[in-house]
Amino acid sequence: MNVELSSLQVWSALAIAAAGTYACRALGVMASGKINQDSEFFRWLSAVTYALVAALVVRMVLMPVGPLASVPAGWRIGFCAVSLLVMVVGSRRRPALALFSGTALMLIYGMASH
Amino acid sequence: MPADFQSRQEAFRAGLQQAMGAPIWVLFAGMIGFGAMANTLGFNVWLAMLTSLLVFALPGQVVLLEMLSTGASPLTAGLAVTLTSSRFLTMVVTLFPQLDAKDRNRGLYARVQLLAMTAWAVSMREFPHMAPKYRLPYFTGLGLPCWLIALPGTALGYLLAGQVPMAVTLALVFINPLFFLLTFTDVRPWLYRGAIVGGGLVCPFFYAWDRDTSLLMSGLVAGTAAYLVDRLWRQRTGGAS
Repeated sequence: MNVELSSLQVWSALAIAAAGTYACRALGVMASGKINQDSEFFRWLSAVTYALVAALVVRMVLMPVGPLASVPAGWRIGFCAVSLLVMVVGSRRRPALALFSGTALMLIYGMASH
Repeated sequence: MPADFQSRQEAFRAGLQQAMGAPIWVLFAGMIGFGAMANTLGFNVWLAMLTSLLVFALPGQVVLLEMLSTGASPLTAGLAVTLTSSRFLTMVVTLFPQLDAKDRNRGLYARVQLLAMTAWAVSMREFPHMAPKYRLPYFTGLGLPCWLIALPGTALGYLLAGQVPMAVTLALVFINPLFFLLTFTDVRPWLYRGAIVGGGLVCPFFYAWDRDTSLLMSGLVAGTAAYLVDRLWRQRTGGAS
């Protein structure tokens, strides 16, 4: 870990995260059939979620913590670009092949540089 | 394929069979990546495995470790994870009303833990092809192995990252960011596309400003902005985005 964290902090973060995630699931059960998923609130919440996950991806690719930090940013971005191209080029989506090609490129880079 | 089940056991088995295809392998790969990430960031293996079982949502799990490793407070990290999990609310609300009235009881509060993106997408596709009473056993057959694979997947990734050459570890920790990135290409509505681009663009600025809250702030600011622009657009054109 880059930053020293007490185990109490780590476990309490997990407790909050697990409780919060389960609460979202349970609220869904409670509300199913009662609320309209096209409501303005849901649109806003979904937009925030997408933006947060997109920020996560950018952070993991551009400002990674851990071993990916040893790979130059240009390569990280390049591998993502190749994988995205494999995914979208052509009439059909190819998620498995795209995921494989991106991770295989990272593997080859790692073998060549270590 | 229209499903003509004779019994609930048969529907359960059909769900199991469906799970053994792409859903379980995609999840397995993601969990291996998560375990490897937990190892390389210096987290405890038990914490990693418990996270996979309790949170059981890869974006949330990754957010948790990412934020903790850069020094975010437990509350900020927990809140950000909860926000990424808010999609479950929408997923459950769209899926569970399709179940048989008899099955819509307290037991659902336990079964809802089995829900993940893949199980949701497959169920949404297959439910219309089967009678309502077969939907819950089908869903359980589909979701249970996906949930159970999370534990060995996380443990395997954790062990591998400590044992295998650096090149393999690099590939393993690259799985999840890549997978999330690829799922964005399936997002159709312009509102959400805007939110994705916006969230990605503002992230470096919030990161430079305050690392701990950067994910939360990027999500709230870019998501709200995209929502407001979309809303204005809908009011102008009087139609859907």
